[in-house]
Amino acid sequence: MMKRGPWTDAAGVTGPATGGSSFESFYREHYRPVVSLAHSVLGDFHAAQDVAQEVFLAAHRRFHGDVDGAPGWVRVAAVHTALNVLRADRRRDRRHQLVPPPAAAAGPEEAALEQETRAELRRALSRLSGRAATVLVLRHGGMRYVEIAAALDIGVGQVGTLLRRAESALSKEMNRASRP
Amino acid sequence: MRHAPDGVLRRLHDEPFAVPDATFDHIARCRRCSARRDHIAADAGRVGRVLSEPHTLPDVDRAWSDLQARLDTPGPAAAVSGAAGPAAHAGPGRGRRLTRVSTRTGVIAGAAALAVAGTAAAASWTTIFAPTEVAPVAVNSNDLQAVAGLMSFGDAGGLGAFPTSTGSGTLPFGSLHWTSSGPARPVGSLAQARAAAGFPVSLPARPPAGVGAPDRFVVQPRVSATVTFDSAAGSLAGTSVVITAGPAVVVTYGSRSGSAGLPTLGVLAVPRPVATSSGASLDQIEKFLLAQPGIPAQLSTEIRLLGDPSKVLPVPTPPGVSSKSVRVGRWPAVALTAGSGAVSAVVWEDGDSMVHAVAGLVDVQDVIGVADQLR
Repeated sequence: MMKRGPWTDAAGVTGPATGGSSFESFYREHYRPVVSLAHSVLGDFHAAQDVAQEVFLAAHRRFHGDVDGAPGWVRVAAVHTALNVLRADRRRDRRHQLVPPPAAAAGPEEAALEQETRAELRRALSRLSGRAATVLVLRHGGMRYVEIAAALDIGVGQVGTLLRRAESALSKEMNRASRP
Repeated sequence: MRHAPDGVLRRLHDEPFAVPDATFDHIARCRRCSARRDHIAADAGRVGRVLSEPHTLPDVDRAWSDLQARLDTPGPAAAVSGAAGPAAHAGPGRGRRLTRVSTRTGVIAGAAALAVAGTAAAASWTTIFAPTEVAPVAVNSNDLQAVAGLMSFGDAGGLGAFPTSTGSGTLPFGSLHWTSSGPARPVGSLAQARAAAGFPVSLPARPPAGVGAPDRFVVQPRVSATVTFDSAAGSLAGTSVVITAGPAVVVTYGSRSGSAGLPTLGVLAVPRPVATSSGASLDQIEKFLLAQPGIPAQLSTEIRLLGDPSKVLPVPTPPGVSSKSVRVGRWPAVALTAGSGAVSAVVWEDGDSMVHAVAGLVDVQDVIGVADQLR
């Protein structure tokens, strides 16, 4: 059974979801942070919105009117779904033997470099384990340790450990990719 | 005291007050822990920088309306069995498995999958139209009459405008239901227009010569229309298509001379229209509609020449109006001129899925100049 979290911080959440009275108010309160998390993974605003809609549709079916446990669930579901989209894109790209998309032809060199860094980040993210990638995105999406623990149904003491391992693994993946 | 574990050092970076005082003091005194803390903080900072991409704020009102339309309209279970894509884990907790798979076209290319236990009978909706660029389509009055007739609106003048905020009607091949929160309404300022629409609206800092100040701000609420095909549509029977458009903001400018009359310039901003289908693909729907009696062959050809129909927003170009492809910033745009260049417009879609138009009693270079100020 999922724990309930105190939704009060920079994740864009302003208070606990009220018990089952309004799916609409739950949606309005949590839609933007959910899109933001999916966007962090995908780097594509439209796809992130699509992921969010699928997540809220599933949440509507799953939680019906009782959305008490839903704030953490929709966040984790958004990250999982976005990661699956990312991995599916990688598989598709491999099938088509596509190289990473080139940086924009026009524009400053720094922008092109940043674009490539973000593309590499996403490739590295898709190679991490699901749990590592999820905790990474949730934390850097603004969720507090206690919220992440509640959403993932783990002890709060484990969050820092998982996060550290995830960041270390991600750094290694990105370093490996950047070597000539 | 034992050295601080990695997890504690990591939390120290984010939430220092959550770390016990004794541990905090040890880390401050211990060179080994301090060095590990700095290394961990450097990794965290590096990952944070690349993950902290600036995000566009989504339009919650519009998204909620989209979701409502999907929740309100039951889709056929058959659409689920036709879905394909990778299975995915969704939701928190250990051991939960997905049982429903949803696919999407375009950017996520058949990959967005989400399933939740107990939802096997739920409908699956696919976005079939979410244009990312605009393109001109030559139309004449016969074309407009034919399309209007197809939609049972009687005349071309009514096309795209519903007579009431909410209503329904019968089509030759099914039914049509539309909803909106009301008719277009004027508001007092750009700030009010932005607040009502829920998205930022830019105006040019330097309007063309002869154009006065903004004198009217109008907000058209979002409109959602659902077409449900019946048995007259053959293989499309049972499919529902939900098309959403708006909200839109239109700002018009008066004349610099202060003379009353037609606006000299208008600026439009509206989220791209989106269509979702509970079953049939866009290709199937397009083939069916273009094969309807009365649709001119030339119009069918024009539409088919647009390329990927799910990604292109057609800009109708009536006789007497010339069009050319231009760019507004890095976005493809369509510039239109009529009346020997006395009336001009430019239409484009930006990277935030907003469709913009600038039109006025000015030269085409002037409307493009205004457009360049809005991007």
